[in-house]
Amino acid sequence: MKSEKLRRLVALPFMMCCATFLLAQQVREVKNLLEGNAQAIANGKANFRANCSQCHGLDATGGLRAPSLVSGKFTHGASDADLFSTILHGVPSTLMPGNDLTDDETWEVIAFLRSMQPKSEAVIAGDAQAGEKYFWSAGGCASCHMVRGRGGRLGPDLSRVSASRSAAYITESLREPSKQLSDGLLEPGHDSPIAGDTVTITISSGEKIIGIAKNEDTFSIQLLDLQGELRLFSKSDVQSIVHERKSLMPRYTEAKLSNPALQDLLAYLETLRGE
Amino acid sequence: MRKRSSRQFLENIAVVALLFANISAAQVTTARIEDASREPGNWLTYSGTYDGHRYSGLKQITTKDVSQLAAQWVFQTPVTGKFEATPLIDDGVMYFTVANSNAYAIDAQRGKTIWHYERALPEKLRLCCGAVNRGFAMLGDRVFMTTLDAHVIALDSKTGSVIWDTKAADYEKGYTFTVAPLVVKDKVIVGVSGGEYGIQGFIDAYDTKTGALAWRFHTIPGPGEPGHGSWEGDSWTRGGAPAWVTGTYDPELNLLYWPTGNPAPSNNGSQRHGDNLYSNSILALDPDNGKLKWYFQFTPFDLHDWDATESPILIDSTIDGQKRKLLLQANRNGFFYVLDRTNGKFVLGKPYAKQTWAKGLDANGRPVLLPGVDPTLEGVPVCPGAYGATNFMAPSYSPLTGLFYVTSREQCDVFSADSQNYRLGRAYIGSNYVPVMNAKDRGFLTAIDPKTGDARWRFEYFGASWAGTLSTAGGLVFSGDIGGNLIAFDAQSGKALWHFPTGAAVYAAPVSYEVAGKQYVAIGAGNAVFSFALP
Ligand code: HEC
Ligand code: HEC
Repeated sequence: MKSEKLRRLVALPFMMCCATFLLAQQVREVKNLLEGNAQAIANGKANFRANCSQCHGLDATGGLRAPSLVSGKFTHGASDADLFSTILHGVPSTLMPGNDLTDDETWEVIAFLRSMQPKSEAVIAGDAQAGEKYFWSAGGCASCHMVRGRGGRLGPDLSRVSASRSAAYITESLREPSKQLSDGLLEPGHDSPIAGDTVTITISSGEKIIGIAKNEDTFSIQLLDLQGELRLFSKSDVQSIVHERKSLMPRYTEAKLSNPALQDLLAYLETLRGE
Repeated sequence: MRKRSSRQFLENIAVVALLFANISAAQVTTARIEDASREPGNWLTYSGTYDGHRYSGLKQITTKDVSQLAAQWVFQTPVTGKFEATPLIDDGVMYFTVANSNAYAIDAQRGKTIWHYERALPEKLRLCCGAVNRGFAMLGDRVFMTTLDAHVIALDSKTGSVIWDTKAADYEKGYTFTVAPLVVKDKVIVGVSGGEYGIQGFIDAYDTKTGALAWRFHTIPGPGEPGHGSWEGDSWTRGGAPAWVTGTYDPELNLLYWPTGNPAPSNNGSQRHGDNLYSNSILALDPDNGKLKWYFQFTPFDLHDWDATESPILIDSTIDGQKRKLLLQANRNGFFYVLDRTNGKFVLGKPYAKQTWAKGLDANGRPVLLPGVDPTLEGVPVCPGAYGATNFMAPSYSPLTGLFYVTSREQCDVFSADSQNYRLGRAYIGSNYVPVMNAKDRGFLTAIDPKTGDARWRFEYFGASWAGTLSTAGGLVFSGDIGGNLIAFDAQSGKALWHFPTGAAVYAAPVSYEVAGKQYVAIGAGNAVFSFALP
């Protein structure tokens, strides 16, 4: 179904130019006929702003909810056909939704993305191996973050962090973790305000429990505490619940993590795309 | 002689049968809908009664025993999508619509299917906000619904068979329906959706018998009509002003009160300078011919997508010693309004949620703007956000407490604007809105005293809710939250007395009905309907 539809959709503009019947395996060669077309780029920009910018940012450079689309690197394929397919179908089990755009609208959005100059910040000069070492030892990252099944539980799993986050956002997460708290419940369509926030619960005995809310509603809260244990409460049974609006992650200031060491770390995180 | 008497006998039977038919619930009549408050066991129209109160006269379930409330049945449908519909109930049968223009009639006591209507929909529908529908209207032995491909249809209430199916507009041009129709006399009244697609909004009335269009009111006045000058150039031809939430009706004044939505493109006003009538307004229409009696516009020249599509509630009350016929609306722009519903004159208005865009309202109810709130290329934070201080979720009014109950939201967006070419049937927003980073969405059930516009109490949810409300003669208000709880509140104090986790965020409004002497409270959530009663 999926590939059949893609073939039909991408074949059309190709056929208009070359009158060649496309075989499914040739789909990857398809070019966007609207690339460079000023009108198409303007329409694509409007549709990008309306449908994509809430996650990818107004200028497509990414942010809290989605990766940069102008870094020149794509996890899910960089060809026109790949982009078309990603935009049409979305990325399962991530926030990236499938879209109802018409075919020409999708091509226009791709024309808009192609018209953006890759941002130079995307070029990361660091040494990935040095960064990896820092992550797993001196940096202490692994005490809180899991990568490919190894590491701590308190912070988000980073196995795919560069598939879904821009380098700029990751840098901000390190330098100023509390500025934008990660979305806690990454369920597509889940209209949830759960954030990777520090929560302090005072239970009836007066004991304070600190952790991250995995979920919360009007009457209950499900916490992962600093020891990595799940603590489940009815709100009526506890004395108080305080949302600190700050991250449990320590600030990695320049004093702690020099700019060159940061580049190394970014170069390592760059490789984490879930493959 | 003999012959004659037997005919007499047959005629008598016919008369008895006819009488029986008249009182049998199969025949929903306009008279019954007008007097719906006298038969609280049924729920015959979207808001329960024409005045929009969503107040159930049933009082088996009270503040004292609501903690005993227990699920009686759960009805699962295979249809995924947001459940926004208010079920209708007549004589033990529940009628409701679900996503993707599907609909059901089920046994309201036992939760068993009677029929299922499933529509074959075209592939690329133009939907801004989900494949939703808000429910049926009914009259006679028919139920009426609108469809995502912009048709209005009548189904046989016993079988679900299609009696008529009228195309109202072309979905490929951006028109669609999500609204629950309102039956007034022999007409079924609907309002169109598509404010994000540069449509020309309208409110339609169809003949309940034939499905023929009886009248159409264009919510954007055409050339030569009063109000046309409130649009710059030809911007009126793509100006939006949809009408996607069910209105209310005053049979005595014979006036229909129908709310309208945002001007298009929502974020960019650079080519539509003017008040953009009749976007974001309440229209008072004559239901017999669709003629406009008066209008009140809440947010002229809107740049923040603040549709006025919140159900207006009609009450009679004494204000400053004078008996007044009033219309209440908690608007998406953050203000609660009281209007005189005989003439549309502004009575009072006050903010009921956080707002950062207006200094206040002037003597005529027109907002006095604060500077720096217009969307820009980079974006400007404004409260409320585009989803508003409330939205389609139905408010309710309890004559018992004299309070107006509304789900209110405190959430702010960064509004951006950019130029956009209009193209027929395509999304036409003029940029976007994004939640302000790291700001916490807050949500409340707010009880407002309509005499003063002040909040009597607020119950804070976790997160900002999308659930409608129901108030009851048992001294209760029912509503829900995004965590999926159906919640019963003390209508006087706002204390949460009972809750049940349905497992999916609540977007619908609860209803109450009675079968075989038992009061039920039902809610749609996720893909299912849940019904509760005392053990
Ligand atoms: C609700 C948030 C959201 C919206 C809206 C959204 N995206 Fe995404 N998008 C994401 C996320 C998250 C990812 C990363 C998926 C992953 O982890 O692999 C992504 C990935 C992508 C990718 C793949 C990038 C790569 O590295 O291969 C493309 C292309 C893309 N989005 C384009 C779009 C376009 C075009 C739109 C609008 C039509 C859009 N997105 C709307 C969240 C969103
Ligand atoms: C004490 C525990 C802790 C340590 C140590 C820690 N983090 Fe975090 N980290 C968190 C938590 C909790 C969050 C989620 C809250 C937030 O957004 O800051 C987070 C968030 C992040 C994010 C954002 C993820 C997203 O998807 O939004 C990144 C990237 C990250 N951490 C990387 C690192 C790296 C690299 C290190 C080591 C240099 C590190 N963290 C050390 C706890 C920790």
